[in-house]
Amino acid sequence: MAYKVDHEYDYLFKIVLIGDSGVGKSNILSRFTRNEFCLESKSTIGVEFATRTLQVEGKTVKAQIWDTAGQERYRAITSAYYRGAVGALLVYDITKRQTFDNVLRWLRELRDHADSNIVIMMAGNKSDLNHLRAVPGEDAQLLAEKEGLSFLETSALEAFNVENAFQTILLDIYHIISKKALAAQEAVSTTGLHGTTINVANLSGDMNKRNCCSN
Amino acid sequence: MFVPIFGFRKEYEKLRRQCRRLIKRINESSKLNGDSCSFTQDTDSPSSEDVVSARDSLSSEERIPDVEYSDDPSSTLLDGDDSSRRNTNADAKVLNSDSSDSDSSEEPEVIQTFPSGEGREDNDPDMSSKDESSPSRTEVQSKLSSEDFATWQRIIRLDAVRTNSDWIPYSPSQAEVSQDRAWRSAEAVGLKDYDHLEPCRIFHAARLVAILEAYALYDPEIGYCQGMSDLLSPITAVMTEDHEAFWCFVGFMKKARHNFRLDEVGIRRQLSIVSKIIKCKDSHLYRHLEKLQAEDCFFVYRMVVVLFRRELTFEQTICLWEVMWADQAAIRAGIGKSAWSRIRQRAPPTDDLLLYAIAASVLQKRKLIIEKYFSMDEIIRECNSMSGQLDIWKLLDDAHYLVVNLHDKIEPSF
Repeated sequence: MAYKVDHEYDYLFKIVLIGDSGVGKSNILSRFTRNEFCLESKSTIGVEFATRTLQVEGKTVKAQIWDTAGQERYRAITSAYYRGAVGALLVYDITKRQTFDNVLRWLRELRDHADSNIVIMMAGNKSDLNHLRAVPGEDAQLLAEKEGLSFLETSALEAFNVENAFQTILLDIYHIISKKALAAQEAVSTTGLHGTTINVANLSGDMNKRNCCSN
Repeated sequence: MFVPIFGFRKEYEKLRRQCRRLIKRINESSKLNGDSCSFTQDTDSPSSEDVVSARDSLSSEERIPDVEYSDDPSSTLLDGDDSSRRNTNADAKVLNSDSSDSDSSEEPEVIQTFPSGEGREDNDPDMSSKDESSPSRTEVQSKLSSEDFATWQRIIRLDAVRTNSDWIPYSPSQAEVSQDRAWRSAEAVGLKDYDHLEPCRIFHAARLVAILEAYALYDPEIGYCQGMSDLLSPITAVMTEDHEAFWCFVGFMKKARHNFRLDEVGIRRQLSIVSKIIKCKDSHLYRHLEKLQAEDCFFVYRMVVVLFRRELTFEQTICLWEVMWADQAAIRAGIGKSAWSRIRQRAPPTDDLLLYAIAASVLQKRKLIIEKYFSMDEIIRECNSMSGQLDIWKLLDDAHYLVVNLHDKIEPSF
């Protein structure tokens, strides 16, 4: 769900928030979209979403962020919402090793259900609880490099790096999109551009498909 | 029903003992593996835990003989229908052999899976009661689901401490629980991360943990699924005895458990009924939903799963649920359409009043949806933001109006 419309915003990017139960996905979302944090936010049943419009390299981008239930039981319904997502924030809790160990399972979920070009950022949330840390930052960094993900530690409570995480995802997506636009314009090889190879055809195809129902 | 004549409290306490042993074993093995994700406080020996837990429920000081509990509390709440009554004998046999024993914790314990008979819901032939001696308990669960008891325990605790507090004004005796008592009960179930909560909420959370864990063992096919704490919390607020709340919850879950099934059969059936109600009532709205590829009504998913608990206040929830249960009880009592028409002129009782109410809440927004919403996303957002916006009496009126007009079409087999 990344396409251009004429008024309010230049682009609409759909991003999914995934990760185990209780890692703080809903609070990351509320911090980013409403600058709110609630220690007792309820478990997410199914999916919820919120949006925020911001500037990315001079363009107005509307980020539509889908918050999903973390429990495995809800995987079937939540994974249906991966369709059309151009970005994913995969969250674990730095104080709960298990939630980090499950990151690979979440990546598998994305591979199975999301667009293959989806931009993925891994976020080690609850960095404010450093005294309870169970996942060393280096472990996460290593995994991120191995899997080709961006990585940041965040704290929804302290509003640390949440903005940064989304900005990074949005910027990455924007680069892919504009590269695609450029490629379409020039209809020549994109040898002049740096970065990883991206299956542009796939992304743009997805954009067109989604266009009708995500206005 | 499934419960033996005697010993509701004993049965419940037996499940609790099983939980404590499982926790202990999980903790030991996680220590052995050097796993840092220990989620419960290390508890001491089972016998002393039992002493602690005996203080768990509010009125347990005045112990009442078990014979007082000869009525199945869950069937008082939701009277068993014919099919579940048929189940009684077979199931009770399993339990009776167990519960007629003394409640010495040294004996091999029986784990019961949920009875399969459930009125109009699809009966699952695979779900029969089975005996499992304690050593193989965890294997049973891991066979049934890739989630295991340890995962459930972690998520149960997570959800228990973030349960909302709107029950407090309606449950003064529990609201006044002492800090000491609250801490003791939290310790008894290995609850952590509750420092930010007031005593009554700690106490409430500890009770939720105890009952939900026991339920996960009682019904291992379902185990624990997020949303179940939403369903249990109002029951726990109303009932001060843990074992009574547990059996009420068991009765409640007889229908609701299908929403939490891994195969999604239950939830899909319910969503399709909501869709059918909207289609029959308002073809214009339905066509609009079709255009947005939203006719499967997944946007009411949460309302179905937690029975409107997230959208309604505590008082409204209790009100809706009671009306709903009254309908279901009327059906189970065999009050058919004709008999009912003499009692209540218009809407006959339905097993699916909740679904009519959900459809009604969507239909109340029909104009907005048709004129302003051009994607499924917007409808999802609308539905997720109904919290605090609903008038329960209007909703029930609208739901009954739909029942009157549509029940023949929606429930032709009725």
